[in-house]
Order: sequence, then C-alpha cells, then structure tokens
Amino acid sequence: MTTTAPPTSPRPTRRARVLPPPIAGQELVLVAVIALMWVVLALTTPAFASAGSIQPLLVATAPIALAGIGMTIVIITGGIDVSVGGMMMVCAVVTAKALVAFELALPLALGLSVAVGGLLGLVNGLLIAYGRVHAIIITFGTMNVFLFVGLQIFASRTVNGIPSTLQFFGRGVAGRTLGVPHAFVLTLLIAAIAWWYLRHTAGGRHFYAIGGDAQAARLAGIDVRGRILAAYVVTGLLVGLASCFLIAQGTSSLDQSVGNGKELAVIAAVVIGGTSIMGGRGSVLGTVLGALLVQTVTSGVTQLGWPSQLSDLFVGIFIIVAVGADLLRERARRRRLRAKGAAA
Amino acid sequence: MTSTVTSSRPGAGPDAPARLAMTGISKRFGAVRAIRQADLVVRPGTVHALVGENGAGKSTMIKILAGVETPDTGDIEVDGSPASIRGTSDALALGIATVYQEPQLFGELTVSENIFIGREVRRGARVDWAAQHAQVVDVLDLLGLPPRVATATVADLPIATQQQVSIAKALVGNARILILDEPSAILTDAEIDVLFTVVRRLVASGVSVIYISHRLDELFRIADEVTVMRDGATIGTYPIGDLTVRRVAELMVGGILTQEKAVRAPTQDTPALELSGLGRVGAFHDVDVAVRPGEVVGLYGLVGSGVSEIAACVYGIDRATSGTITLAGRQVRPKNPGHAKRLGIALLPANRKQEGMFSFQSIAFNISAGHLDRLSKAGFWVDRAAERTVARDLIKRLAVKTPSEKQAIGAMSGGNAQKVVLARQLVSRPEVLVLAEPTQGVDIGAKEEIHKIIAELAAEGTAVLVVTSDLPEALRVADRLVVVRGGTTTVEFGPDATQVDVLAAAAGHDDPSDASDPEQDS
Repeated sequence: MTTTAPPTSPRPTRRARVLPPPIAGQELVLVAVIALMWVVLALTTPAFASAGSIQPLLVATAPIALAGIGMTIVIITGGIDVSVGGMMMVCAVVTAKALVAFELALPLALGLSVAVGGLLGLVNGLLIAYGRVHAIIITFGTMNVFLFVGLQIFASRTVNGIPSTLQFFGRGVAGRTLGVPHAFVLTLLIAAIAWWYLRHTAGGRHFYAIGGDAQAARLAGIDVRGRILAAYVVTGLLVGLASCFLIAQGTSSLDQSVGNGKELAVIAAVVIGGTSIMGGRGSVLGTVLGALLVQTVTSGVTQLGWPSQLSDLFVGIFIIVAVGADLLRERARRRRLRAKGAAA
Repeated sequence: MTSTVTSSRPGAGPDAPARLAMTGISKRFGAVRAIRQADLVVRPGTVHALVGENGAGKSTMIKILAGVETPDTGDIEVDGSPASIRGTSDALALGIATVYQEPQLFGELTVSENIFIGREVRRGARVDWAAQHAQVVDVLDLLGLPPRVATATVADLPIATQQQVSIAKALVGNARILILDEPSAILTDAEIDVLFTVVRRLVASGVSVIYISHRLDELFRIADEVTVMRDGATIGTYPIGDLTVRRVAELMVGGILTQEKAVRAPTQDTPALELSGLGRVGAFHDVDVAVRPGEVVGLYGLVGSGVSEIAACVYGIDRATSGTITLAGRQVRPKNPGHAKRLGIALLPANRKQEGMFSFQSIAFNISAGHLDRLSKAGFWVDRAAERTVARDLIKRLAVKTPSEKQAIGAMSGGNAQKVVLARQLVSRPEVLVLAEPTQGVDIGAKEEIHKIIAELAAEGTAVLVVTSDLPEALRVADRLVVVRGGTTTVEFGPDATQVDVLAAAAGHDDPSDASDPEQDS
C-alpha cells in the first residue's frame, strides 16, 4: 500500500515486538497486593489457608469478574453502565421462576438468563448509541426501571423451591472438578476470549479508539454507534450468565436483594484493575484481578469477624489509590514530554 | 473584487499536466461568500504555498479539497482528469490527504494502530500486526523516524513526532497530494527543520505538497510557488524567486490601509503594568513590555509566536519561569486568574465560550459574577436590585442588543456575548485591563464598539494591554505595538505603523532592510 516510495528500508531481521507488553505495571501491582492480602489472612486466620476457604472466594468472584468484563468494554468506550445490579435482579428472578415452573435443563436456564440480559443490554445500548445522552444518565434511568420490573416479577419477598439444576456453578462439590470451581474456570475462559478480542481484532481496537476520541474515530470510518451498541449488549449477555452464578451460589431460595449494589462492586473491580474511567484505556486482565481483590477484601473482613461496613471502606480506599496512581502516571508522562520538548 | 491569475508561469520542474487544478471555485455560507472564483494550480512534485490573512479563504479551499465542504461552483481536476469530491472518502481515493494543525490521533493506542485505525490489515479474524508493522516502518523510515516509533504509544511522543505520525498516516493512504495545514505553528525551530527535511523527501518522491503557513519566512525555505488569497479570491500565483516577505505581505494586505485614530498621551510615566525579562520554558523568553496608565499597548504575534502563552502568564493560568511582572511598582506573581484579579488585573480571556461565560445564565448573572461581594447585602445575600441596576447601566453603555438583562448569554450573538463578558470587567473601572483576542468571532459592528470601549477606558486612565493575532485590530486600537516573534518581543512600532511593516516584522524578513522599524525594543 505504501506506494509513495519504494520500500527501501531494511526489514527488521528479528521478529520485532509489534504490540505493547500484555501485562502492564498496574496488573503486576494488583497480583502483589492480592498475594500479600492472602498471606496476611492465612497467617491471622488459619482457616483461610484451606481450600475450603479459597474455593468460595473464587466462586463469589466469578459474577463480579464476568459482569466486569462487559463493564470494562463499556468504560473503554468512554461510557458506564450503572444498571448491572438491576439487570442481575431481572435475569435472576426470571430464571429462578422459570426453573421452579418448568424445571428447565441447565443449558436452557443459562440460555434464558443470557437472552434476558442481552435484551436489557440492547435497551441500554440503543438508548445510549442513538440517544445522545450520557450513559450514566441513561443507565441510571434503566436501573430504576429494571429494579421495578424485577420486583414486579418477584411478587413476593423470595422465590422458593428452586431446583438444584445450577449446582454445576455453585459452591458445593457439584460445582467443582478436581477442586477447581466451574464458575471461576468459565469466567477465566470468557476473560481470555475477551482479552484476545480486545487486543487482536479490529473491532476490539475500535472500542479503544472511540473512548480516546469519538469524533476522530468517526472520521476514521469506525462504526461508532454499532460498537457502542455492541458494548452494552455484551455487558447484558455477561450479566445474564453472572445471574445464573448468583442463583447457584444461593440456597434453594432467591431473595429480592439479589444483585443489590453489585454495580458498585463491578465498577470498583474495573477501576481498580486500571481501566481509565475517562475511556480509551483498560484491560480485562486488570478487571479480573480487580474483582479478585474486591472479593478478597469482602471475604477477608468476614473471616476476620470485622464489621462488614469495613469492606466498603477498604474498597473505597483501593479505588482512590488506583485512580490516584493513574493521575500521577499521567502527570509524570506530561512532565517527561515537556522536559523532552524543552531539550529539543 | 474579481480574481485575476496574474501568473501561472512555472518556477521549476517540467511542464507536465498539473497534479491539481481547481478553477472558478466559489463557496457561500449563508450570506458570507467565503470563496469567490478562486483558482489553484499545483504541479507534480512541488511544494505549493497557500497564504492569506485570517479569513482570506484558505481553510475553506482546503476543506473543499479534503471533501469536508462541497463547492457551489467550479471544477477540480487531478492529474488532468475531472474529479468529483463529494466526501472525505472521495478525497482519500484520489490520493488527497490532509494533515490538520492539531493531530487527530488516539493517545492510548500505538503509532501502528493509529495509522491503520478503521482500515486494518486483517488475517482471518485478527489484525495482521506484523504486516501493518512492516508498512509503518517503511513510511516512518521515509520520514526519518526509527522503527521503534511504530510500537510507541502516541501519548508518550512529543508533539512534533505526533505530527509526523499524522503525516505517516496520510502517506500510508497512498497520497499524491498532501495538504499540510499550518504544520509549523506548534513546532520549535529544530522540529521545523525536521519537518522540512521530510517535505523535501516527499516532494523528491513525486508527492505534491500544499503548504499553509502564517510564517512567511518559512515559504522561502520550502516553497516552489506561492498562491496568495485575499477576501476569498486568489490574487495570483508566483514563483518563489519573484517574491520577498515584504512583497507577500503587500499582496496579502492589498495595499496600505490607514485608519483615523485619536492620539492619546499616557497620563503618567510610571508603568501600571510591566513585564520584564518574562519567560516560560518551552513557550517564550525575554519578554519586555510596559503599559502606562492611559495608554493602549498592543502585543501582536502570529499564531504560534508565543503571544497567547504570554497572556496566559499574566492571567495566572500558567506560571512564568523567569523574569518579573510589576503592577504599579509592586512585583507580583499571579497564581491563578482569581489571584490576578485580586491583584488588580482585569481580564478578558481569549476563549469566551470556555473561559469567559456562563452560557445558561442571564446577562445580569454574567456581569455580576466576580463582583458579588460588592453587590451583596451584609456581605451575604445578593442584592438583586443592585445587580439589575449595574447590569442595565452596562447594557446601555456597551450597547448590548437584548430585550432584557434576564436573557441567557448562550443565546446571544458572539459580539453581544463578548460585550457582556467585557462588561463584567467594567463594573468598576480597572487600573489595568488585559484583553486577549477581544474580537475573535465577533461581527464588524460589535468589533467597532468594543474598540471604542477600549479607547474610552484608556482615556479615563486605564492601562490597557491588548494581546491579539488580528493585525488590523492591533493597529486600530494600540498606541504602541510590540511585535512577538519566535517567543520573544522584537520590534516596537509607534502609532504610524503600517500593516505591511508590522506583518513583515512578525512573519520574519529575508532582508533586514525590508522591515522599517522605527525603534528597537530593548
């Protein structure tokens, strides 16, 4: 394509690295912080070190990480979705009631929940892509609508007598193979696919471009609306799957409080994972680690017998530290460039 | 004025068919005739400069060529065949690529990704990074950049390199005509040298470059031919050898314009505002200006000369890194605009919409903002009656056209809105008033009135500093005019300065005797 001049330059002989490294500094820091917390917890509460304690932690991390993958894409495009808690409630109650009424098989239950999530995500996506109103306003609106719809479907405080169809993703023995929880493995698998898609395909890179500068992206011929729509639909689909995990984690009954406040845990996981809330930058790997960190804090506080409000405090501190680190990094970059400019 | 192509005689190169021929181009925006019967002929493998004052029609010509605007009349031929440019994709398909002044890049993506965004090379489902990388490395090499730049994140690169990346992006699209819109405005001298090397290499490989610049001295280093525009028409095309900076300035201005203006004398000799040896690393250095009470001093420079950065320092938006600012004999260091105001500097910011006004609020709110301490009862609640009286007085005094002081400022015309923002500074007469681009985007009538207000304030004893890149305005309002070029104050002109002299001084002169500077500034 470069016909402006004959390619006279020597091709690099060794295979040059053509992409930035797959793991960024912040992700390594997260691994270190999580490892440190696990060591401290293991030393202070001997029960924590056992597999019986780690397994529920991983199972509980799965829905946050899963919804977080969608949220990562949404935030990379410069948007946000605060309706995921409401979506989880609708998906969970619809699926739970269907399980009770029709004794659905596992694939059908999953399919139903994912379809409902996808539909709700489509509503968000259409309003945001075509509405020209900021995503936080739209999803704040749909959040309330979803909560209302969910409560209507609930009709009573709980749905009882849910069959154990979803136990394959639960905390129990049925939820593990060789001691590894299925829910967590499936989450990692989906995370790997999302990671590859975002990093290696044109469609994935376009999410970053849109978050960087939507106008420039449009001029570059990117289907901005289509991509934004896709981001919210994918979030809905993943929330649908996450809702099944939530049902599986419970007993045979589902409470109205399902999904309550989950949007905050999910956004916390994404932000702690290093995705810029301004859009244009972020990674799925960071989000999975962020989710693990958030859940470790929550479980750790419980295990230590501390008041549960403390976990909110710690998550809040982590968010501020993560955003602060991001700011400092940005400032250092600008200072470096200015120094370079002055030297020139 | 009708256009006349006074010369299309080749200056260099063979008499091949023109790479680009635009003839009889006209474009109207509402009542404004942006382009009138303009002609532009660019030969293969040459650098063709397009010059003209702000508003002469250069940008509209470029937008037509880039497919952003469609002309009302006229024909375009590329390499001898008629071309229809209906959109940006048509322009790209014809090999016309535009590099805008501000790089249109995605900061968090790599250089390779930026160059191929929206037209990725694919291998199956995924992007073929290796193939893209190889092409990018070739183009970067043509631009004199090392291969490692291909994998760098754009936000990590200096602005000059980012601009080269924009050029690379244009070249990968197989460009035959490359439009560079004010490429040097944001670059340092060393970076401009690099840019010129790149341009020469491209031209040698057969690309035609259309080069737009306000810095006339540059043309003599890089251009083969120059087309001058004035008032939407092309005045003519000249081989560079037939021109001097002074001649280009004359062609741009179209004769010598003089306007009547009152001669004022400063009321005191001690400066009310003095900048002495002021500098900010990377922006400007050794700036010396003194404004005495009762006089209007113009600080004039072309876009990129550093003149707007100087204003930002006086405002306290940026901090100076060397030199001093003295207010009535007292040395000050404005920390932020609020601080500058408390020190006694009244400000009219350059970008009205972003820095100067509260769009959704009323005229009265916009005028009283910043004075609420004086307009409040018991220093606590706003005295709405007093606010209204002040607003009405100023509306009358500045001839703001509005049915009521309750009107929202966002709905008003640019000229009226600017008068309201100016009114805020006049609630009490300031000792020192600094205005940056006071009439940008303002219609002629309002412009006259704003100039009148400036003159009135000076007559009452205010020291006024007008920072502007609008030359007729600088000449019109200023008693003395200090020219900023290359980040420092250079020449000072008295009230008898002519447009051509000042422009030649600001744009750089190839022959020092060209600029008839009456007095050198220290």
